[in-house]
Amino acid sequence: MSNAKERKHAKKMRNQPTNVTLSSGFAADRGGKHHNGGGKPFPAQKHELHSGTSRQRQTKITPHSLPEPDGNEQSSSKVMFRKKGGWKAGPEGTAQEIPKYITASTFAQARAAEISAMLKAVTQKSSNSLVFQTLPRHMRRRAMSHNVKRLPRRLQEIAQKEAEKAVHQKKEHSKNKCHKARRCHINRMLEFNRRQRKNIWLETHIWHAKRFHMVKRWGYCLGERPTVKSHRACYRAMTHRCLLQDLSYYCCLELKGKEEEILQALSQMCSIDTGLTFAAVHCLSGKRQGRLVLYRANKYPRELLGPVTFIWKSQRTPGDTLGIRQLWIWLHPTLKQDILEELKAVCQCTDPFKSAICIPDSLLVSSQEKSQTELPDEKIGKKRKRKDDGENAKPIKKVIGDGTRDPCLPYSWISPATGIIINDLTMEMNRFRLIGPLSTSILTEALKTASVHTGEEDTEKIPHCWWSEACKNPDSVSLHHRQQAIFELLGGIASPAEIPAGTILGLTVGDPRINLPQKKFKALTNPEKCQDKESIRQLLLEGVPVECAHSFIWNQDICKSVTENKISDQDLNRMRSELLVPGSQLILGPHESKIPVLLIQQPGKVTGEDRRGWGSGWDVLLPKGWGMAFWIPFIYRGARVGGLKETVVHSQYKRSPNIPGDFPDCPAGILFAEEQAKNLLEKYKRRPPAKRPNYVKLGTLAPFCCPWEQLTQDWESRVQAHEDSSEASSPNGKESDLRRHEVPYTSTSEKTSQPSDELGTSRNHPGEPEEVMDTECQGQAGPERVVGQEVSENHVASTGGQLCVLRSRILLKQLSAWCGPSSENSRAAWRAPSRGQQGLTREACLSILGRFPRALVWVSLSLLRKGSPEPHTMICIPTEEDFLQLHKDRHCCGPQESKHSDLFKSKILKQKEKKKKEKRQTRGCAASEGLAGRDPPARQGALTQGLWSGPLPRVTSHCSRVLLGFVTQGDFSMAAGCGEALGFVSLTGLLNMLCNQPAAQRGLVLLRPPTSLQYRFARIAIEV
Amino acid sequence: MVRFKHRYLLCELMSDDPRCRLSLDDRVLGGLVRDTIARVHGTFGAAACSIGFAVRYLNAYTGIVLLRCRKEFYQLVWSALPFITYLENKGHRYPCFFNTLYVGGTIRTCQKFLIQYNRRQLLILLQNCTDEGEREAIQKSVTRSCLLEEESGEEELSDGGEEAAEAME
Repeated sequence: MSNAKERKHAKKMRNQPTNVTLSSGFAADRGGKHHNGGGKPFPAQKHELHSGTSRQRQTKITPHSLPEPDGNEQSSSKVMFRKKGGWKAGPEGTAQEIPKYITASTFAQARAAEISAMLKAVTQKSSNSLVFQTLPRHMRRRAMSHNVKRLPRRLQEIAQKEAEKAVHQKKEHSKNKCHKARRCHINRMLEFNRRQRKNIWLETHIWHAKRFHMVKRWGYCLGERPTVKSHRACYRAMTHRCLLQDLSYYCCLELKGKEEEILQALSQMCSIDTGLTFAAVHCLSGKRQGRLVLYRANKYPRELLGPVTFIWKSQRTPGDTLGIRQLWIWLHPTLKQDILEELKAVCQCTDPFKSAICIPDSLLVSSQEKSQTELPDEKIGKKRKRKDDGENAKPIKKVIGDGTRDPCLPYSWISPATGIIINDLTMEMNRFRLIGPLSTSILTEALKTASVHTGEEDTEKIPHCWWSEACKNPDSVSLHHRQQAIFELLGGIASPAEIPAGTILGLTVGDPRINLPQKKFKALTNPEKCQDKESIRQLLLEGVPVECAHSFIWNQDICKSVTENKISDQDLNRMRSELLVPGSQLILGPHESKIPVLLIQQPGKVTGEDRRGWGSGWDVLLPKGWGMAFWIPFIYRGARVGGLKETVVHSQYKRSPNIPGDFPDCPAGILFAEEQAKNLLEKYKRRPPAKRPNYVKLGTLAPFCCPWEQLTQDWESRVQAHEDSSEASSPNGKESDLRRHEVPYTSTSEKTSQPSDELGTSRNHPGEPEEVMDTECQGQAGPERVVGQEVSENHVASTGGQLCVLRSRILLKQLSAWCGPSSENSRAAWRAPSRGQQGLTREACLSILGRFPRALVWVSLSLLRKGSPEPHTMICIPTEEDFLQLHKDRHCCGPQESKHSDLFKSKILKQKEKKKKEKRQTRGCAASEGLAGRDPPARQGALTQGLWSGPLPRVTSHCSRVLLGFVTQGDFSMAAGCGEALGFVSLTGLLNMLCNQPAAQRGLVLLRPPTSLQYRFARIAIEV
Repeated sequence: MVRFKHRYLLCELMSDDPRCRLSLDDRVLGGLVRDTIARVHGTFGAAACSIGFAVRYLNAYTGIVLLRCRKEFYQLVWSALPFITYLENKGHRYPCFFNTLYVGGTIRTCQKFLIQYNRRQLLILLQNCTDEGEREAIQKSVTRSCLLEEESGEEELSDGGEEAAEAME
């Protein structure tokens, strides 16, 4: 019998009475006596009672050694036993004569002992099941498992014990209030406010928490993905209908000051190289939203801070004659800290600025004000509350905006020199994003422009005095009407992509809750509704006029008053219930809230040739506090809601980099990559070694992170090494000049190691493009290369060899032209429009490389045939044989990587053994030796089976195909119908590859996921 | 529940010779019963009963024995028990016989029955007792067992439901 089985048996039998034989009778008797309540514990009893097997052994031994236990036996019963000389005379029975008479007392005693033993056995529960499981089915009740009183009374005691045991394992649940009290509105509000203190909640948090998997990220609680299965549904919503997202977690920084001052300060942070800057004409007028990438001041192209979008307040606003402009910079929360610091440094905004606009003050003021205005409500609340809640009754208020904010910290800074004010407007506004062609019709359905006050009644008693003030001004009234007209025209547009990118439209709308439909329905575009084709065409051509971009949302005071004067849902519903005709339209008249909003068109896919304008939509900016009031009406018009995952999918199908994962050169991106690597490693380690891929065998050096630094360094040294070797091998000048360029490129692609061999191959197969180029560049190549090298060295020296991502639009355009497949006809075709561009020549490459020695390029890849790439997929350069194979067989999937040997397996085994040995040693030896033996196990902790440990070898040449870069996002693209990936490749490597590939197959690369040996062909494209 | 179903025979060993009890041992007893079955029911009977046969409990003082066998063949064991007329141990033969008190499906029911039975026996003993001293002693033991019963009386009652879970082999 196995040990475990024995144990199990023993456990089962622990409560059963053991055999009582005469030879060991004393023990049993003793035991029995003990149970009877004699209260004399005997040391021997315990182990005797325990197991039958030990008992057996003892019975064999005891007959001979019987007198001894007899001697030290002082049990009263025993004594009595002996005196009476019962009919069974104990162990000495063999030696004794047959007793002369029988006493009933011994007989009775034996019975009594047995009864007690049996009773004990019967009363104790012997099985492992819970008490209620012992009940027959028909007697079980649902609540039995947690409510003891549901059990029959006879079982309650045992169940109580069991429940106590289980409670300790469970999480302690605070029960200071009963369920009803916890659900009561004020207590819930308290609880919600408490929970918001750590992570910021969006206004739609409760709505999201019921329907989404929530994650705590970037200091916010955000919905990651819907709990319903909706990947494809969300994609369809993006493409054909409307997807709604709450982007209120995006941060807004406000800059106020003179236009020239702001522009001058900000010009240090961006470069005209990367596209339009803050000073772009359309953006500066306030007509359009702009987007750009920010760098640390004067550090371009290194030290990226992150991508931002910005809007200027339109110039034509009444009472803005001083040239004071307002600029909002919207950015991702991960980038906020760096950018805010840099902005403060650039604008020299050092002094904390306190004013009426200052947010912390206004927050406090507003809360106080609100508590005053809502005094009657508070009183009612107080009555119901218990006394101990009385003190904290005052702060019970719904937290609107940033709950984690420390009121002592400044959120506004002013520069004494330039007068620029920087405001941190995080969580001061809501930003909803509607993606998809139906987003315009949903907007026009859900929002109704505010009615203009006629101005007869006195403005004092109406809460919305700002609106009545504005209505007195004929200018603003006419502006409002123009905005209204344009907004109505929007309903006739099929897709938001038709409008110029980044168009801004300001609006003042009425309360969207009032015309909430009875039932959810799907809003559709209604072209018949808008008959005015002419004005629509004009709108599409010219865009929204600058004046119409004006909105009252720019004014903090108005926003504040709008937030404060919101009619609560409860009041609104009460009024609705008091309507004479149930279900009829509620008319509030002047008491209806007017909300200033800003609509910003989001251009969808702006790069590349196919699917232009995919994923375009509208962003709606709302003052805080109004989030849910707009959210529900949007959903009632048929918008589907997506979470963070849908944001990623959206940016992936748009082929745009995702923030912050796809910015490996900004601090947030680095942090993100580290975190991701940590999580993936943890996940990997959770599986047993046999059930997880062995990345060493698969030849994947870095399955969880992308070693960009090493990749670029490797490529640099690779190119240099080949150049040096070629120079050394060929002394004569002119020929070396020729080879200097040929050799490295051809040899890298063929991956031969011996210099002599390289020379031979380069002479034997000069690629046809090279031939052309070399004839051209023979003359100037030498000096230019030297210059390039010098420049590169300078760069390396100055920046410490930091990697950067190529964002110069000119260079990217050039690269994208080179990347395309170029048969003779098409080459002419695509060259024609871009006459000014250079051909793919050595010196062009070298000049680029000189400026960006260690650069990465953002590329998009689409697979030719099968395969769906995943993140961290390797992008490799195909060899010539691969091309031959592809040429021969159009259906070939791609080459296979041969299996690598696991160098670390033996090491791990050895260390395991060593550890074992050491363990044995340390167990025996003194502590001094144990101290020495502690070192190796610590080292061994780093070794994980299936992962490369220690510093990585040369990443580029580790596998049979030369590594070019990594994929950061990749999946099967439902938009393209094939696997698509986005990632970065080394610029040096890319240029190398392009130079060496035959023109017909230029731009083909191989993709290999980290968990597979199969390479697959993909086409590389750079979209600008 | 899916399990091997057993029958437990609660028997009392009656013997005039006190030395017979002395040599009572579960191995001896098991052998004796097996032999008897083989004698009475032949090889088939012996084989049929040998599966799952065990002596579960044995008390030499009271002569209570609990035998276990498979439910299908318990009648073979049962019918063989009257044929045991003597107990043989170490060359000695002690005449005795088995008195089957109860046949139960679980150990627990047998134990419960045994409690009842013993209690009844004690009361009978008390009633028939003539000697004053002995009467006192018996009384003491009776009260002792009853006291214990009171302590755990409720729990004992509760065991009715637990039979289902009782999966003793």
